[in-house]
Amino acid sequence: MSRASRRTIPRLWLRSGIAVIGLAVGGVIAAVLPGYLLYIATTAIVASIALIGLGVVTGTAGMIALCQLSFAAIGAWVVSWLNLIHAPGGYIVWLLLGCVASAASGLLLGIPALRLRGINLAVITLGFAAALDLTLVKLQFPGADQGTKIQRPWPFDDDRGFFLFAVIALVVAAVVVSIVQAGRWGSAWRSVAFSERGTATAGASVRFAKLSAFAVSAAISGLAGGLLAGQVGMAFPTSFAALQSLALYLLSIVVGAHLIEMAIFGGILWVLIPEIFKRFGISQDWGLVLFGVLGIQAITSKTSPGQLLRNAIARRRPTPECTSSLTDAPPQPPDTAGTPAVGAALLEVSALSVTYGELKALDHVGFTIHENEIVGLIGPNGAGKSTLVDAISGFVPLQSGDVRLQGRSLRRSAPHVRARAGLRRTYQQDRVPPTLTVGAFTKFVGGGASTPHEIDEILDFFGCPDAGTPLASVDVGRRRIVEVAAQLSAKPNILLLDEPAAGLSHEEHEGLALRLVQVPARFGASVLLIEHDLNLVRSVCTSLLVLDFGTLLASGPQEQVLSRPEVKKAYMGETEML
Amino acid sequence: MSGGLVIRELEVDRGAGPVVSGVNLAIEPGTITAIVGPNGAGKTSLLEAISGLLTSTRGAIEIDGEDIVKLSRRQRAARGLVHVEQNRAIFPSLTVRENLELVNSDISAVLEAFPELDKRLTSAAGLLSGGEQQMVVLGRALVATPKFLMIDEMSSGLAPVVVQRLLPIVERFRDAGVGVLLVEQFAHLALRIASRGIVITSGQVTYSGAAAALLSDEALLHRSYLGE
Amino acid sequence: MLQGALAGLAIGGVYAVIAVCLTITAQLVRVVNFAQAAIGMIGAFFAVSMVGTGLAQPIAIVLGIVVGCLVSAAIGWVITTWLADATTSARSAVTVAALLLLISLSFIAFGTRPQSFRPLLPGPAFTIGGVVVTQVTVAMVILAVVVAIAAKLVLSKTRLGTKLRAIADRPVTAEMIGIPVRALSISVWLATGLIASVAIIVIAPTQSADATSLSLLVIPASAAALLGRFARLDLALIGGLGLGMIQGAAAQFAELNVLRDWIPLVLIVAFLLWNQRKEAWDVAR
Repeated sequence: MSRASRRTIPRLWLRSGIAVIGLAVGGVIAAVLPGYLLYIATTAIVASIALIGLGVVTGTAGMIALCQLSFAAIGAWVVSWLNLIHAPGGYIVWLLLGCVASAASGLLLGIPALRLRGINLAVITLGFAAALDLTLVKLQFPGADQGTKIQRPWPFDDDRGFFLFAVIALVVAAVVVSIVQAGRWGSAWRSVAFSERGTATAGASVRFAKLSAFAVSAAISGLAGGLLAGQVGMAFPTSFAALQSLALYLLSIVVGAHLIEMAIFGGILWVLIPEIFKRFGISQDWGLVLFGVLGIQAITSKTSPGQLLRNAIARRRPTPECTSSLTDAPPQPPDTAGTPAVGAALLEVSALSVTYGELKALDHVGFTIHENEIVGLIGPNGAGKSTLVDAISGFVPLQSGDVRLQGRSLRRSAPHVRARAGLRRTYQQDRVPPTLTVGAFTKFVGGGASTPHEIDEILDFFGCPDAGTPLASVDVGRRRIVEVAAQLSAKPNILLLDEPAAGLSHEEHEGLALRLVQVPARFGASVLLIEHDLNLVRSVCTSLLVLDFGTLLASGPQEQVLSRPEVKKAYMGETEML
Repeated sequence: MSGGLVIRELEVDRGAGPVVSGVNLAIEPGTITAIVGPNGAGKTSLLEAISGLLTSTRGAIEIDGEDIVKLSRRQRAARGLVHVEQNRAIFPSLTVRENLELVNSDISAVLEAFPELDKRLTSAAGLLSGGEQQMVVLGRALVATPKFLMIDEMSSGLAPVVVQRLLPIVERFRDAGVGVLLVEQFAHLALRIASRGIVITSGQVTYSGAAAALLSDEALLHRSYLGE
Repeated sequence: MLQGALAGLAIGGVYAVIAVCLTITAQLVRVVNFAQAAIGMIGAFFAVSMVGTGLAQPIAIVLGIVVGCLVSAAIGWVITTWLADATTSARSAVTVAALLLLISLSFIAFGTRPQSFRPLLPGPAFTIGGVVVTQVTVAMVILAVVVAIAAKLVLSKTRLGTKLRAIADRPVTAEMIGIPVRALSISVWLATGLIASVAIIVIAPTQSADATSLSLLVIPASAAALLGRFARLDLALIGGLGLGMIQGAAAQFAELNVLRDWIPLVLIVAFLLWNQRKEAWDVAR
């Protein structure tokens, strides 16, 4: 059984087991707790569900959302209205429709947020919360003036029964979110929280990742709101006030609500703290003060108690040994006939120009890379090499020129579309999200092109840590090699590598070189390699492109290029005295 | 020898092994020492360790006999050590005049050295060309009256004719008694105005001697830059 | 409708003043200060409670302004000390917490019912073509214009302004050339705290003076600041006054009662979409 897939089967049992335990515990509590405590326990469950939703959008996807309870209000509104007009289906159907309505509002609010950086989204969500507050006070919930109570279905119509219903809803929400978090969407959320460029390079749309996070969190809040309405029998605007949304947001930061168990803990705190204050005769506003202070503490310490706990547990677990290393001799390529012959034209760059104001960063650069080729891109510092890779991968607008992959022009394609078309790249900066594991990251970047077994092989080939290793515990240099391996697992046509060896020791440099040579034979991909280490370039690349001041100085077979006087001059700075 | 900047057995580790090791260097006032070598060799890390941007793991750095390894960046700067970084740290939204006057309200020395800046005084520094920005940065260093000046890759991204324009200013510093450490990937440019030349390859000093001798040893330079 | 629009100028002046403060903090200390209006609210409520204990109104007002300054400086101190290298999002998240803190502390200290302010500037100032313009309106508009102009002059013409802009550009380099980054950053917080307190103290007697509504004035103010992309003081000024007038005019129509509350959000969304219509990849991310 491969390393990557070994984890999923036990996880399924783990989830089912926890769900069953959760239901059982809920049943026990329902039977044992007296009426009032049961009532606030239900409120705690509703708050937990809202926090799970917040955990998705703020904890995982890294966006600031200050209107969580407003989405809940929409769910409550839909349930109240459907109840008032005696719509068919009953409470459970109305609840689900409320979720849909909330999700739709999340999408609507999220669309302007797509291009926005986190802080602008915060402004929008607070504006939404405040406006909805005022509207709810003016319009009230459907059925408020008649005092219409919400019809709850049997057997959940009394307080004990409804508590059980809330527990079931919590378990369902937790399981669903847990599955989604572990899947491609969850990886995309974590990736977009860390680096938008990195997400696009993995072939995932940044817009879609942000929108999906927002919509999912809104839907879950809608569930919470509908439940709250059902619990009380009627919905009240004060429960969904903007101030409460702020407090909930801060609580989610404090506990670390992207971890489901911490979201539940947060829900308990949400009711426990005011209750304790009430018992001691302290005004419940002090509860809000406490959330505010704890929030500031959590923000300034840049971590949460939940994350600290998880880290402490992780440290106890023995670190998995790397079964292979870059310094070992690499396995021989499968096809002992040697390197495959250079094939047809694959990537054609023509007359590429990029300008920043007055500065011509790239001036009419044109070249062709063929199938099974490894081409080196070299040149002095500031020559425009990274700009060229940025331009080819779509992150920099072209002033003129075109990029064609297998004959198709990519000029109008967004970066993630180019990635999906088979053009992959790595970065000089660290764009690998530390919140993922090696395996989850590779699977995400690979986009399903490789089987778990193939992923294991690629990781092994490049001497990467075990699939279950959290990327946070891997050092930067090795993380960037994981990035190389992950991009290859996407089975691209061509891979652009931006100084992959930076941060590696001398022996690892050599080990990487030995492996890069095998890439066309083993993975069927061509490579464009930016490197400063000319020894590595000599041993890996068949042909070279030399860039200097944004123009292509020379191109051709390696030995020829390196012996040309103008290339030497470019590197050494020989200039004619003017 | 008093008044010198002395580096002994310096080692710098960025987390994945030493990027600079066993470096010995002595900069005397009124001289230019050129440090050349291929990219990624560790030249920038060396300068950063001397000025305090990076913490060195081993070795000593002395100014006038005082070990400054434990001192902060500000404190090292207060002892006359000025580091002109690769990234041209001008304040982009401030005008050229404002950029210069932040360090010293009397900018006549700068305008004398760089008359081209005179007509750009009211432009926002962020809109200047690379060469002009380099002039602003060097001008700032000029009015800071350093004892030791370290310049990192002054020519990066600049056309040769622009670099020719800047080199005499570096010589001016030397003539004023400043000890200059000039890091360049373009060996010929730096070696022509330097008295001493150092080659750094893979974090270690592979040659140390007279600049003129290094300039004429083409084979050595090519080997260092373009590999074996 | 004209009467409504002119009546709206008063609150528009508050929007403009807060918007100018938001723009200044966004530019100079890289924070979107969600608590900007709440800071003023605390100062104003403190002044009222002091009057309630028998203190003369002018002294109470001065004390209130001082409290506003100190609260603002405290928030700034937390951010400058622990989040100096953090993103704008993380730094601004502290002001979200401060917003919650200030409102709930206000409930505790001053109760949840709206405060009763003795009007500071009662009555009309003059009449234009049958439409009455109150003293408060005149004061707010003058305050907004003066603050915007003063800020612009300090930033562009004084040595202090140059240092502040240098800090905004590259705080690390500014520190290296000897600019006291910490002290100057906190002085920005002091100044904006002062301005916000003055504005809220003047406007509070004419508004429903409860802690939440006063604090949430930051939302229409941020719509105005967004018109200037959190960068331009003149557009923040115009945006604030304009938004106030639009809301005032809309208040004349009973049918727009509910929609009126959504005008700021619609404008926020519109300005954001317009500002970012050319999608560019942030180099840093």
